[in-house]
Formats: sequence, structure tokens, C-alpha cells
Amino acid sequence: MLTSYSNDLKPITDLAQSFAARELVGKTGKHDRYPFGEFYDHVLDKAHEVGFLGAILPESLGGIGGGIAALCEILLHICEADASPGGIIFTQAFSQKIMLAAGAQDLAQSIFPGASSAKDLLVAFPAYTNPAQTDSLPLAQSAGSDYNLTGRLELLVLGNLARQAIIPARSGIGPSYSFFLVNLDDQNVEKSEPVFTLGLHACPAVDVTFSGVRARLIGEENTGRHYFEEISPEMNAAAAAMNAGILRGAFNEALAYSQKREQGGRPIVNWSEIGMMLASISVKADVAAMCVHQSCLELEQKKSGYEPRVSAAALHIAELSCDATSDGIQILGGYGYMKDYAQEKRYRDARMVQALLGTVPFKKLDIIRQATNTNPNNV
Amino acid sequence: MLTNSEVVSILSHFPKFEDTWLGLSYAPHMPKHMVKETREVIAIARKFNEEVANPLALKLDRLTHKDPDYLPWELVEEANRWGLYTMWIPKIFGGHGYNMPSMSCFSEEVASVCVGIMNVIGVHYLAVAGLTASGNIRLAKKILREVVEGEKSGKPCVLALATTEPGAGTDVEEVDLVDKGKVTCQAKRVKGGFIVNGTKVFISMGHVSSWTVLYAYEDTKHPSETTIGFIVKTGTKGFSFGSHENKMGQRVCPASVLIFEDCFIPDDQVLFSSALVKKFTNKPARDISQRYCDYVVSATRPGVCAFGIGVARGAFETALHYASTTSVNGRLLINQEWAQCMLAEMHKNVILGRLAYTEANNANSHRGLYRLLQSKPVYYYLKAMPRFWFDKVISPMLNWEITARVMGKLLFDMPKPEDQRCCSGWASVAKITGTDLGVKNCQMAIEIMGQKGLRQDAGVEKMLRDIKLLQIYEGTNQLNRLNAFKCLIAPQVPQAQVFEE
Repeated sequence: MLTSYSNDLKPITDLAQSFAARELVGKTGKHDRYPFGEFYDHVLDKAHEVGFLGAILPESLGGIGGGIAALCEILLHICEADASPGGIIFTQAFSQKIMLAAGAQDLAQSIFPGASSAKDLLVAFPAYTNPAQTDSLPLAQSAGSDYNLTGRLELLVLGNLARQAIIPARSGIGPSYSFFLVNLDDQNVEKSEPVFTLGLHACPAVDVTFSGVRARLIGEENTGRHYFEEISPEMNAAAAAMNAGILRGAFNEALAYSQKREQGGRPIVNWSEIGMMLASISVKADVAAMCVHQSCLELEQKKSGYEPRVSAAALHIAELSCDATSDGIQILGGYGYMKDYAQEKRYRDARMVQALLGTVPFKKLDIIRQATNTNPNNV
Repeated sequence: MLTNSEVVSILSHFPKFEDTWLGLSYAPHMPKHMVKETREVIAIARKFNEEVANPLALKLDRLTHKDPDYLPWELVEEANRWGLYTMWIPKIFGGHGYNMPSMSCFSEEVASVCVGIMNVIGVHYLAVAGLTASGNIRLAKKILREVVEGEKSGKPCVLALATTEPGAGTDVEEVDLVDKGKVTCQAKRVKGGFIVNGTKVFISMGHVSSWTVLYAYEDTKHPSETTIGFIVKTGTKGFSFGSHENKMGQRVCPASVLIFEDCFIPDDQVLFSSALVKKFTNKPARDISQRYCDYVVSATRPGVCAFGIGVARGAFETALHYASTTSVNGRLLINQEWAQCMLAEMHKNVILGRLAYTEANNANSHRGLYRLLQSKPVYYYLKAMPRFWFDKVISPMLNWEITARVMGKLLFDMPKPEDQRCCSGWASVAKITGTDLGVKNCQMAIEIMGQKGLRQDAGVEKMLRDIKLLQIYEGTNQLNRLNAFKCLIAPQVPQAQVFEE
């Protein structure tokens, strides 16, 4: 969908489409059974093999160096079929971006290039949290060259799959926080069973409790907010791409069903009310794709004030997706509510993607904070 | 200032006073004791929530994800012990006879904790509506007495109602569409009864019901004129259950596939047919089917509104608790204006939805199916007379032919078309309102709660899954909008045509 953005993306597009067709289409119900069913390790391994877990990593760190447009293109096509693996790719990109923004090349070098399996490569991250808006982060105490972390963190995405995690924690009084790299196999880390969440079941998250676990500082102390805000525009674009993919999937399935299903003696696509609903989803899907495209351009050109514009695109697309996935079920009627079709999963997943990078009202208020340059703690 | 005739003339213009201020019109006719009774019903619901629904809601939802074939036998037994399957069965049939509108209040309360659990109770009354609205008092008595016996014996006798077919969902909810649709459940007349063949889908509580109210068609090419309602006992030869649907929400309430293969149903289990009703009215068969359908949906759609408003309230209360206990940037959310405004909006939605189901119930009480039961003389007579009077004296009278004739006249011959339209239209308005506002509140709660709201153990994500079904069953909200247009707007516009596009 972003191929007009750059012909260089054509191979990525083809790869993402064939991956989705081969590994995801028709299997989403089975994959979504997790944590009550098996985890799809083979899909994760395939995503690793084709480089999706290092989409934005430079080639020097073992990635494919595709940049944000490549990441968005991958997420669009993957999420059109199933947003859960999109969530894994998103979280992995989030972790990698934090490290790069913090200039922690040495840490990245120690993890990514040498990873022999997908799980070695994964770095868990609390992708639904904006740490600045969380009053109860773990505490970090200096211990020589490293730190000890104590406290609890909810919904650490990929926490039960990855061997390491990036954890936001506070080392002093006040809102500032830092990012730390933690070994999740450490005996002082206690992980819950995968949390049963609304959607993205196959992109699991766990609650973690740290009891004085050794942690390495990423970048500078008390600079976490800066790193987070620096990469937020790109991650917002990635989240927007996920919801744009979900939207496209919802439209395709609704259109196909409406041409087959008859009520009142005619295909329901010929009912003008259904036609209006389909048109509304189609408009939303097209607008979303255009917003993602424009966001990628903004991120490349970095013209003044691009950050809130990309954030606005992500917020807008999330709202469109949440509305359209509800209508996507409605068009399928009772069948749309059943797990035999993918519409009900899209309805759940859209809300999960909307919550990435923090709570919606605070994301909205943040746009005004940026516009007025007010103190973040006053908004 | 105006003469009476001037007032009558002015108020007869659209929107007519009688069709608009339903509560005001019904108020002088409402038995005062209904208030006390409704207070008691709400208190029972809150006690049931505290002792049963609250401890089970999330636990059972999780269990049904682990085991998709789970059936809620224990919950049904518990509801039976609480007397919830007979609370709104009229005393003449041996039930507790609480006033029908109070069921909406009960539904809101229980649905505010778990609408799936409420559906395990409420779907039974969809079938009760199907039984009583048929006018077949003899058969209604037979089945409802079994429900009462089931409560006494501790062996629940729960009812289900089967309408939807694999190829006909919206079609079977609307008489104007059913002739154009693809219904396949056929009843073929044979000596002593009918042979039924066909499949029904998405039948709530099918697997755990003892009796099913089943609708089939003698002529599947002309179903509106040949609709035939049966009661079928679970275990009847030729009647079996297919798969158990894998739903997004309301998972504690199973949705079943019902299969009828050469299933013989004797004549004395025919609940409704235009041929039966024709004895009491000269109205065309199609109009009889429409009236029966309208009675059922007019009674049950306000209930779905109450379900939706219950969920809306649950979402509001969950978000309120979260905002009252969570600080961001050192300030409780409850003290941040944006959160206060969102919570006020959610509370407003609950109030609006409650008004909608209350008005739809006022329509039914004043001009619809409850008209007789909710009139002061009948209401107080039923309250005053002891149970043995109904069991020993009234009950045998329900088998008399004259009783059937009176009921047939009352239900299918005497009511005015404008009353039928008013009740059906208001029921659709309520259903759309309650379920849409329910979805809205769940969305707002999830947004306020951020990542906390995504967790099943926080409750609100389940509400977002549960609520969606309410926009689909009992006629999709799209169909209900068309029905509201047909009943409340189109009669004022002579050139308006509905379902004719």
C-alpha cells in the first residue's frame, strides 16, 4: 500500500503479503487461542527468518535497515491478516528504537547480530505504557556500575518469550525515569502467566515483579522521557499502520461476505443501508492508508511540528479502526460475532493497538501540551 | 385558553401526544404497588449479584475460554434455586407473578455485573413471551407449570426459543422480509401432527433447555402466511444439538445449533398457527403472523435495552472506581476535568437508556402485551388472591375453549394497529438506544483505563466483548432502525415504503 512512497519497498510488500498469505490467513482463530492453546513458535521463527524482527535495525546490527516506511509496510500487510504478529514486530521495533535513541550501540551489538533464534533476539517492552504517565514505576537503586530494580510492572509485552527486557524505572523523587536492560531469566524476576487480554492474544504480555534484580542503564540516567518522546513519532506511525491494516482486513471481509449473504431475497451488499456501512469502512480504510503514507513522509522530511501531526494521524486512525471493526462485525451479523470469522478479533485487536504508547486521553492532551509548550505536569 | 377539541386536534398531529409521552399517558393507570414490587426486585438482583454473579462473572468467562464446550449447568441450578425462572411467570400459571416491566430493572442490575449471566436467566423469558403471546393458554400453562415444578424439585426446566436459521437471520425477524428470504425449516402436515426438518442456529441456551419454542413454516415459499410455532421437548426423536458456537463474548450463555430431522411433533404441541388464530379473527394470516411477531419483540427488545444499559452501567462503575483510585502525575484521575466530563457523559448514557426501556415498557403496559396484567383491577386481583385459588380454581379454566376464544379475541382481534405500531416502534427505539449506548460506554471506559482496561481481570474488556452481541441479536440494530421508521415515522408519510427498495 505504501509502494507509491518508494519503489524500494516493493520487495518488502511482496514479502509481507506472501508471509501473511502463507502463515496467517485462515489460521488466526487457532493462533488466537493462546494462552489457552499452543503458541505459534513456527510463525515467530519465520518472521525472524525473513527479517521482520529487525525491520528497522541497521544492517550493521543484523537488521534489514528498512526504516520506518518498511516497518509500516510490513505491519500493514501482516495486520490485515492478523494483528498479533504485528504486535510482536511492533514491540521488537520499540525496544530496538529505544536502544538506538539512547545511543546504546554496545548493548544492541551484544543482543541483535548474534541472535541465533527468534527468542534470543526478542527484547520485551511495556508497549502499552507511556512511563511518564505512570506513577508506579519500579525503583532503581545504584549498585556500582549497574543498578538494582525493585517493584512491579504490568503488561510487559513479550515478557514470557524474551530473555531480556527494557524496563522504565525511577531512581529518584520526581517524574523523571530511566530505561534499564534486565535479564528476564534472573532469579529475582518473577513473571506471571500470560495475562488474558482483550486482543492480540498471540502477542503475549506478563506482569513482572523485580526483587533487587541487576539492571544495566540504557543511555543517560533520568533521560527516559527524552528517548521515549524522540521515538514516539515513528512508533505512532507504526501503530497507525497496524490499525490501517486491521481496517483494510475488516473491509475486505465485510465486502466479500456481503456479496455472498442474502437477506430479503438479495445479496445484502445491495441493501443501501449495508452499502452505506461498507462505504464508510472503505472511506476509513483509504483515509487510514493515506495518513500512514503521509506520516512516513513527515517522518522522513521532519518539517517543523511533524511530531504532533503523526500523533494525530495515529489517534485518528485508531478511532476509525475501532468504529469500522465494530461495523465489520455488524455486516456479518451473528457470524461476525463468532470466532469462525476474523472480524471479532479485529474488533478486539483495534482497541489493543489504540492503547499502544499510552492512554488515549493523555495522548490527546499531549498534542495540546506540545502546541502550547506547557509543563507536562500541568496538563 | 384552548377548548378540549382544539387540544385533541392539535395533539393528533405528528408526533402525537399518545405516541410520545407514554409515561404520562400510563401513569394514571399504573398500579401504585408496582413501585414497591419493583424496589423488591432490584434488591433481589443486587443480592444475587453479591452472592452469585460477582464471584462467577470473570471466573466463568475464563473457564469458557479454557473449555469452549463448557455449559453452565451449575449456574442454571443456582438461578433456579433463587426462583429466577418463575419470578415473571404470571400467578395464573403458578409463577411468582412480579410485574413484567420490573424484569428490565432486574436485567439492568445483573447485566451491570455480567450480561452473559443475565442472558442465562433472560433468554428463558424470550420463550415465555413466545408462549404467552401466542394466546394458546392451555399449552402455555402446561409448559410454565413444568417450569414451576422444576423450581420446586430443584431440577431446572429452562426454555429456549428457536427462530434464526443458517440462511435467514434478519429475514425471520420481520414478516415483510420473510417471504423473500431463504427459510428452510419446514413443517409438513401428517396424521396427528407435523414432521419438521431444518436447522436453527445461534439459539441461546439451546443445549441446557428442557423445552424449545420452535418456529417452522408449512410452505417455505410463503412463510409469512404459514408460520407455525411448536413446543419441542429436548430428547424428542429427530431433535438433536449440533455444535456449540464459539462466541466473542457472553460465553457463559451457550449458543446452540438445533437440528430437526424428520422430527414428529404432535398436534397438541402446536403453539401457534394462523389456522388456530383464525377461529377468533377475520384478519389475514399474514397480519396474524405480524401481530404475534410484534408482541414477542415488543416485549423482549426493551429487555435487550436494559441488558445494554446494564453493561453501560457496569462500564461506568468500573471506570469510576479506576478513576477514583488511580493517580497520574500525582493527581487522582477523578480530579481531572477531562475524566469528570467523560464519567458524566457515561452516567448520562445510562440515564438516557433507562428512560428508553422505561418508556417502551410503558407502551407495552398501556397499549400492548402487558395491558391486561398491568391494569389496576387485574393487577390487584392477582396480588390479592391466594395461590391455591389459581392452582385449583383458575388453572382448570385455562383449558376451556371459551378461555382460548377470549384470549384469541383479546390478543389478535381487538387491539388497534396504531397500538401495535407504537409498542413495536418504541421497543426498537429502546433496543437501538440501550445497545449503542452500552457499546459507547464500554469504549469510553477502555479509553479512560488505558492498559488496565485491556486486562480480563479488570472486567471492562469482557464488557466490550459482551455488549457487541446486543447490537446483533433480537434483530440487528439496522433492522430495528427500519422497524422504528416503519412503525413510528412511515405512517405519517403516505408515500413512504419500507422493505420495498
